Amino acid sequence: MGVLPAHRLPVVRIAVRNLGRNRLRTGLAALGIVIGVMAIATLGILGTVLQLSATSAFGGVGTQVVVTPGGSGGAGDGSSLDSLSAVTGGGDTEGFSPRDVQRIRRIGEKHGTVVPMVTAAGTVSRGQSEQIGVLAGTDNPQALFSASDGRIPRNHRQGALVGHDLAENLGLRVGSTVEIDGNSYRVLALLEEGSQFLPIATGNALVLPEGEFTEPYSQIIVRTESQEQAAAVAGELRSAFDGRGNRITVVELSSLLDQIREYFGLLNAVLLAIGSISLVVAGVSIVNVMLMSTSERSEELGMLRAVGVGRTTVMRMVVAEALLLGVLGGLAGAMLSLLAGVGLSVVTPVSLELVLHPRNVAFLLLAFCFGVGTSLLSGLYPAWKTANRRPVEALNG
Amino acid sequence: MAATIPLELEAATKRYEGANRAVTALDGVDFRVGSGEFVCLFGPSGSGKSTLLNVLGLLDSLTDGTLWLEGKDVTALSVEERTEVRREYLGFIFQDYHLVPTLTAVENVELPTVFDGRGERERAEELLDRVGLGDRRGHKPPELSGGQCQRVAIARSLINRPSVLLADEPTGNLDRDTGTVILDEFQRITEEGVSVVVVTHDQLVSDYADRRFDLVDGDLG
Repeated sequence: MGVLPAHRLPVVRIAVRNLGRNRLRTGLAALGIVIGVMAIATLGILGTVLQLSATSAFGGVGTQVVVTPGGSGGAGDGSSLDSLSAVTGGGDTEGFSPRDVQRIRRIGEKHGTVVPMVTAAGTVSRGQSEQIGVLAGTDNPQALFSASDGRIPRNHRQGALVGHDLAENLGLRVGSTVEIDGNSYRVLALLEEGSQFLPIATGNALVLPEGEFTEPYSQIIVRTESQEQAAAVAGELRSAFDGRGNRITVVELSSLLDQIREYFGLLNAVLLAIGSISLVVAGVSIVNVMLMSTSERSEELGMLRAVGVGRTTVMRMVVAEALLLGVLGGLAGAMLSLLAGVGLSVVTPVSLELVLHPRNVAFLLLAFCFGVGTSLLSGLYPAWKTANRRPVEALNG
Repeated sequence: MAATIPLELEAATKRYEGANRAVTALDGVDFRVGSGEFVCLFGPSGSGKSTLLNVLGLLDSLTDGTLWLEGKDVTALSVEERTEVRREYLGFIFQDYHLVPTLTAVENVELPTVFDGRGERERAEELLDRVGLGDRRGHKPPELSGGQCQRVAIARSLINRPSVLLADEPTGNLDRDTGTVILDEFQRITEEGVSVVVVTHDQLVSDYADRRFDLVDGDLG
């Protein structure tokens, strides 16, 4: 037997029972909110996952300045992908003069770590098999690479670090020996792929101590802590070398990263707008359902007014019903979105950690609040209309 | 002692403005109900008896004239004040009972008191005992007969301790025997000093009433 508590939220209790009167209708109205909340939350989560995957794929692109000698675009704007490919292809340029290296080092070290590097193409062989690889020479590989196997030495004096693809093709492991131009090197570590954004293809790279090369440095990479520092380094380098002919090219991608962020921000906004449309539709259906159910119960609500129940109480009753629809629908929608996100992490390479990113949790909350808010707004008009009907009219149905 | 008159209507006129002509539902009606009096109002359809009951119940306002409740002029009150007065002085009984089907009998009786935090559950149970439905407290309206529903409605109308009970065709949906039970109940209520005004077609009611009025074309005979 249901007991009506005298002092505890009678409005809510009665609202719950009223919603139970026509379960199908209540269910359908709540389903609208479920779909709307799910649309917002799921699209929000997808947007976040896309954005975070993309920015993590670009890694430290925004905190890195790549300097190459000579240059087609002079100081350039440094933000286009064309200049990026010019750099990645760039083993052919003649190399930095030791003075330029000194100048770049002085400027770069004020803001971050400076890693000069020699790059060249070369044939790497092991026994009978051989392959063309990107040879890179640096004394400080720790600043640029991380190892998937083995250890990267702090001070690179001997041995080779081998990229993943190269290692696989030649069957190399930590401890194997490779030959380049007749010299043998022990493999110290296999390089982890894609963990860093670099102007050379890590997968095909073979990193040696820079003493193994006779060529001058062909790239200088400056790593900074923040995007602002990277921009500062780029700016100072450009002004330091201004007017000295096109001696260096400076590529700094923080502005590109900004553009990427902006793009994803826009994408997210569009996704949310699409989701919001379905919530608006849900709101309209709630208005409809509440108008229907209050008109069906017109005599009962008129009776309440007659026996001395105030307008505000009647209004609260109807709003409570709409609000309950919103809370139920919103909860269900948020749960389903969460499930969809978890499902995504099971089916695709997207990690669960990415799905459960605080921003996605915020999206779930936001979508839930939107759902409840929509229901609340949708309940106001029917509530106002019902409460302000003259009791005589209401009693006559 | 000069007891206050529970309900008094003086020169009451109610006109409805129609599209092309005005309809006069009440035409200068004088009407008075004494304390504990059982009054019935007869009249054919369209005679204005429902309008009269609505005016007495502060559910509708007068075009002209004055209404006193317990000696207070309640003719021109705001919507909130009317609600307050209805809660304090009046009880309503309807032909269709107007019980909430999702609530039990005792919850229905208690209903007018729950929203302002009074929640008079015990009184609701006593009232149900009094109308002979003590064993039906937990039943919902669909599980009760018409006569039982109307008795639940009577118990509900008494929960706020009204001085006047207004009933619109209370026996209209009931057979003769059940109607008798309801009218016996009204008589008992008047013995406690509550006035009862019944608007009806049912001749049986006049056997119980202290006074009978006939309303014809908005005029009391």
